[in-house]
Amino acid sequence: MSHIPRWILPAAISVTVPLPSYAQQYLTVSAAQKLCFPECDQFVPAHVKFTPAHIKAIEAKSGQKQLLRGQEIWRAMQNGKLRGFFIVDYVIGKHLVIDYAVALSPEGTVKQIEILNYRESYGGEIRNPDWRKQFVGKGPRSRFALNEGINNISGATLSCRHVTEGIHRILATYETCLK
Amino acid sequence: MRPASNRVRRARPSLGTFVEITARGDSESKLHGAIDQAFEAVARVDRTMSFHHAGSDISRVNCEAFQRKVTVDPWTWRVLRAAQKLSHESDGLFDVTVARKLMQWKYLPRRYQNVSEGNWRDIVLEKNCTVRFRQRVIIDLGGIAKGFAVDRAVEALKRAGVPSGVVNAGGDLRVFGLKSELVHLRRPDEPMQLAGAIKLCDRALATSAIYFAQRRFGRVVESPLLDGRTCRSSRKSISVSVAASACMIADALTKIVFILREKSRPLLARYHADALLLERDGAPLWMFRSSCDTRDRTRFD
Repeated sequence: MSHIPRWILPAAISVTVPLPSYAQQYLTVSAAQKLCFPECDQFVPAHVKFTPAHIKAIEAKSGQKQLLRGQEIWRAMQNGKLRGFFIVDYVIGKHLVIDYAVALSPEGTVKQIEILNYRESYGGEIRNPDWRKQFVGKGPRSRFALNEGINNISGATLSCRHVTEGIHRILATYETCLK
Repeated sequence: MRPASNRVRRARPSLGTFVEITARGDSESKLHGAIDQAFEAVARVDRTMSFHHAGSDISRVNCEAFQRKVTVDPWTWRVLRAAQKLSHESDGLFDVTVARKLMQWKYLPRRYQNVSEGNWRDIVLEKNCTVRFRQRVIIDLGGIAKGFAVDRAVEALKRAGVPSGVVNAGGDLRVFGLKSELVHLRRPDEPMQLAGAIKLCDRALATSAIYFAQRRFGRVVESPLLDGRTCRSSRKSISVSVAASACMIADALTKIVFILREKSRPLLARYHADALLLERDGAPLWMFRSSCDTRDRTRFD
């Protein structure tokens, strides 16, 4: 699980994830940087700590609450030339934090979005005895090995609305702090 | 066959949900390239078939198809044709014009005024990917396009030479290649708990339930799963999972099985699909196994 820097998180959000949980690490920050900007040779950190004025402006422009105290931003460079911005952001999914990355062009249009870490809290075992009788799964006594046993979940669609809202907030952050 | 040595798994927000793509193969960089192409196919479905984007085929059709013929992307036309076929076969239970009701219940934004009370028979599909409406109906492909997007993503991965993998669009998924996958199902009354697992090989699985989507209107609770014939929504706390060879078919059939239950048998058999209904506590309520005898059968046991 990637480390969420404390300096950007509001006091209200706890970084510790209650177990049991389902977690997928899709990409590390550096892997996502290379995928979003394959032509770039350098990613220069340009992290921002928000001032109260920043927060006010971002909230006004995006219509979203800005709970973070700062933003992790990298300038994607190719031979010293700015090719875009790579921004890591955090939103709450169903219950837990989702980390994702947004790649912006130098003009502030969204080039790519990649989920870095996805987490959900789950009950730890299949409790229903009928199911065990009729369906495949693990043996009747075994618990699932969390994070190994659960790889695919089928169910009613889970909305990605919080990420969509987060992207609006990122675009407002670009307008406020990077433009 | 040599086992694939690498596994790459990525996810992006699209189609209003999280789309997760897993690819197995030898070269990691090749897998990333293939996944990029698969995400591009998903993005094309999102661009063309979204009810929400103002420039999508669906928005254009909803605005103009009553006045004039509208030319749509060949993919949109294919989905519409499949939807029409399913509407016909389910006697109007599956109906993409329920968008009118979904808009009233605020599952869809209220973007259209003066919508008539038509049904799927008012949609006319003509040559060269053109669409026109006989009545001022509006349509939404929310019950079928996600499955279609999964199929197109799988196609893109295969075309790029990926031997096996999984595409999961927020719960509607398809497993391809020789490697089977365990897929867990959520408990209808407590979706953050899992009810059990199904083993799939080279097959799609879609699930419908109302646990993330019910809403209260005064004293009435509605859900976006509704019967096109009566325009009444189902509020049963069950879940329906359907396995079929194509995810689009699995996706659409879940809506039909949700309402028809056991009576959906002939339709399931026609599409060589399997179905599984789960009670609120996750106990299996009813199951249907298609008679097809291929290696890609769904394994419930």
